[in-house]
Amino acid sequence: MYRDEILPGTLYLLVLKTLARPDKMHGYEIANSMQRTSEDVLQVEEGSLYPALQRMFIKGWVTTKWGTTAGNRRARYYQLTAAGRKQLAVERSQFECVIGAITLVIEAV
Amino acid sequence: MLVNRRQFDVDLEEEMHLHLELRQQDQIESGMSADDAQAAARRRFGNVTSLRERSNLAWGWEWLEHLTQDLRFGLRILSKNLVVTFVIVLTLALGVGANTAIFGLVNGILLQRLPVPAPEQIAALVIQSGESSLGALGFSYLQFVEFREQTATICEVFGSATAWRLNFTAEGHSDTLTIGGVSSNYFSALGVKPALGRLVLPGEGEHPGEPAVVVLSYAFWQKRFGGDPQVIGKPARVGGKTATIVGVMEKEFRGQFSVFEMDAYAPLSTAFDESSASNFWNSRDMHLMLVLARLKPGVTLAQAQSRFDVVSRRLAAQYPLTDKDLKVRVMDERLSRPIPYANNAFIMFSGLFLILGALVLLLACTNIANILMARASVRRREMALRAALGGARSRLLRQMLTETLLTALLGGIAGVTLGASLSYLASSTHLSNIPVRLGFGFDWRVFVYALIVVIFTAISAGLSPALHATRADVNTVLHQGGRADASGKARHKVRGDLMAAQVAGSLTLLIVAGLFVRSLRAVERMDIGFDPNQLLNVTLDPSVDNYTRIQTNEFYRSLETKVRTLPGIQSVSLAASVPMGNTLGNQSVYVEGRPVPSGQRAPGAFFNNVDPPYFDTLRIRIILGRAFTDADSETAPLVAIVNETMARRFWPGEDPLGKRFSLISDAGPFVEIVGVARDGKYRILAEDPQPYFYVPLTQHFTSQRTLQIRSSMLPELLAPLVQHEIKALDASDPVEEIQTMKESLGGTLGYFIFRLGASLAAAMGLLGLLLAIVGVYGVVSYAATQRTQELGVRMALGASPRQILALLLRQGAQLVAAGLLFGLVGAWALTRVMSHMLVGVSPSDPLTYLSVAALLSFITLLACWIPARRATRIDPMVALRYE
Repeated sequence: MYRDEILPGTLYLLVLKTLARPDKMHGYEIANSMQRTSEDVLQVEEGSLYPALQRMFIKGWVTTKWGTTAGNRRARYYQLTAAGRKQLAVERSQFECVIGAITLVIEAV
Repeated sequence: MLVNRRQFDVDLEEEMHLHLELRQQDQIESGMSADDAQAAARRRFGNVTSLRERSNLAWGWEWLEHLTQDLRFGLRILSKNLVVTFVIVLTLALGVGANTAIFGLVNGILLQRLPVPAPEQIAALVIQSGESSLGALGFSYLQFVEFREQTATICEVFGSATAWRLNFTAEGHSDTLTIGGVSSNYFSALGVKPALGRLVLPGEGEHPGEPAVVVLSYAFWQKRFGGDPQVIGKPARVGGKTATIVGVMEKEFRGQFSVFEMDAYAPLSTAFDESSASNFWNSRDMHLMLVLARLKPGVTLAQAQSRFDVVSRRLAAQYPLTDKDLKVRVMDERLSRPIPYANNAFIMFSGLFLILGALVLLLACTNIANILMARASVRRREMALRAALGGARSRLLRQMLTETLLTALLGGIAGVTLGASLSYLASSTHLSNIPVRLGFGFDWRVFVYALIVVIFTAISAGLSPALHATRADVNTVLHQGGRADASGKARHKVRGDLMAAQVAGSLTLLIVAGLFVRSLRAVERMDIGFDPNQLLNVTLDPSVDNYTRIQTNEFYRSLETKVRTLPGIQSVSLAASVPMGNTLGNQSVYVEGRPVPSGQRAPGAFFNNVDPPYFDTLRIRIILGRAFTDADSETAPLVAIVNETMARRFWPGEDPLGKRFSLISDAGPFVEIVGVARDGKYRILAEDPQPYFYVPLTQHFTSQRTLQIRSSMLPELLAPLVQHEIKALDASDPVEEIQTMKESLGGTLGYFIFRLGASLAAAMGLLGLLLAIVGVYGVVSYAATQRTQELGVRMALGASPRQILALLLRQGAQLVAAGLLFGLVGAWALTRVMSHMLVGVSPSDPLTYLSVAALLSFITLLACWIPARRATRIDPMVALRYE
């Protein structure tokens, strides 16, 4: 199963971080990139990427642009906006806060 | 943003498609077969439909889209199932209709504030009296003035004394009107405005003998004068006085009582003529004024109450004879309706009927839930399919509830229409002696109430079936083929519970109805002490013509003589008061040789002034002594006839004949008892035996008298003949009212309230019974259909029809029995509040409980038996193949 293998609520963070690299990406590339970077540990339900991307677009974190892929197919490319970068910092600090807390709990004697 | 949505959806589609293709390609490149690659790609991607929905959610507009989708779909479903829709709408219309009609009445009578500025400042003042169960009715004029003066710092006290039937003659035509005699500050304190002319002015009309004026109500002005503005300044005769019409009341204000409509208003000095003036203006025993107060801004009821307590104590000390136990309660004006009795039973009465209405609604809801439940089973497949295609459960639930709500709204609209017409019907009820005004209470509250009822119905009836339909496990349902479903035990139990609840609710309704009906029967069978059949009452007051006493007596004497010559007349007599109609005040009785100790009041009794044939005409038996005769003339010794209760209470263990008492003081003059009459009912039907006495009209003059005629002719046919005789004697036609004794007894003091209670409760009971029959029938026949296959197997294996019948009936009977048990308990609990509303029957009357339970069990078992019997007739072969 591919479902629920990332921590709930971290999808935004992962997508934002993936898009933080200078090159624009389309959905499939984002999914693959996340999977690769995490050395195949993080496998999102790939479809769930799209509602997330859409919400991020509505919130103004990403911009979109139609372009062509290497295989000469039409695809929608996503790019981080300034607001998106700010959000990335926010999500990241929240995530670290939670992880720190969890670590404290599980390492407590 | 919505405009771009379509484009966005297309884009999303393309994006997802690309993703799937790229993934598939990658998989093929890593060595998978094309088919496997496609499946793997889809698996990794997830449910496309539900993802698309989730993506749509991001826009925040989905509720609107869903709603329009749901409504469109709902309408389609409803129009495809017209019969089901119709049954639901009809059931709900009955439930909502009954509820809105009752709520409309309660709203009109209890909830709407007076149509005056700042109505929340208006409080009602009632005298709390231990003497009568209703509390004393009002204030004496003197008390009123004292309270008005001594509480002026915190509020303005104002009040009115209603003249229920006063003769009003204008432009040569006379009517009998209900006229509010109002204190001079009445209108200024209320803050109402005239539609025309002026109202009663501050300071006007609180001294007997002032020039008489009258203000017409808007409705009467329209009806009688066609809304003619020239009416201002015209003369009219009001209760024998020449008065000037000075104004017309604004349309919205119809008097201070929510139930009784005033035809006109006049200052106190106009409404109460001098002949009764000495009593009204100076006696502390004439409690005629109903009193309200406008509290100054910021003054609470509690503050006002403590101020009134202080004044009450002061008055009690000042007038120990009359005001010793004086206690005034200050209450929200609305709680004092319809008439400011201290112990207002109306609130409980309305509460009871609202509960009955809720029960009817509950029965309707149960039926609707049953229908929806049956439909939900049918639609499980549809729901499972939609879930498999990615429909979220919440979305499916919402859709089913929207459908229910849509149906409920239709039912609600039909129900409000029904309720409004019922209310209208009730409001056009004509009551003989009092202008009752019902059912005008249709305002936003009623609509909000109906809306709440509808939403409650939709959710309570629709939620469980919707949950059930959408709970379907996709796999199980879709694999069942065409079979409706393996009916779960749990759901059978729900249906069974609903059926038992219906029987219980219906039983409660029927028991309440039964009690009211039995109470009405008891009242109608009650010995009222006289024979009301074949009696015509004609109330006259020739004082309109400024007759002297001698002329008045002469007029009545010749009228009696004339009427006796009419065909079929058996007996004709005159009396000042009619039982359960217009009654005279309480009279202090001073027994000779038994002086009233100082500081105490003389005991009181009600009385009537009658002529010698009176006891014959009304068929009141004289059980001791004699009736009055012509020898008891003005100059003869004063005599009286007392009733049994008076004889027993005032002269216990003694022979009352020859005993004497005075109506004035311990010192006399005394009247001598010459006879004892049988007890009867005098003021209200529900009263306990009251001391009562009769005095001859010759010795105690009144101008207003009622001619009572017993004839072998129908009294209705006699009326025009009598009227003709009166016109021949006196062209000005001093008739105030003609009605048969039976009609008169149907009035508010007579059978009216009992008939109203009984017919309302009976209507609700029948409605409840109808709904319960439909419900029980529906549940049993549905259960039988569901079990067709099982029954077929049983029959194929040799079960006889009798055994099948017993099987189905046993189940039904168990539920009915459980329902009856709960219903009996529920009815017992509910009827505790009814003890003051019933006469001659206890709220736990076992006969009513048992006979109603027996009737209901018979009817419901019949409703079980019919579908059960049908189930036994099925052909086993057909049943086995039954899908």
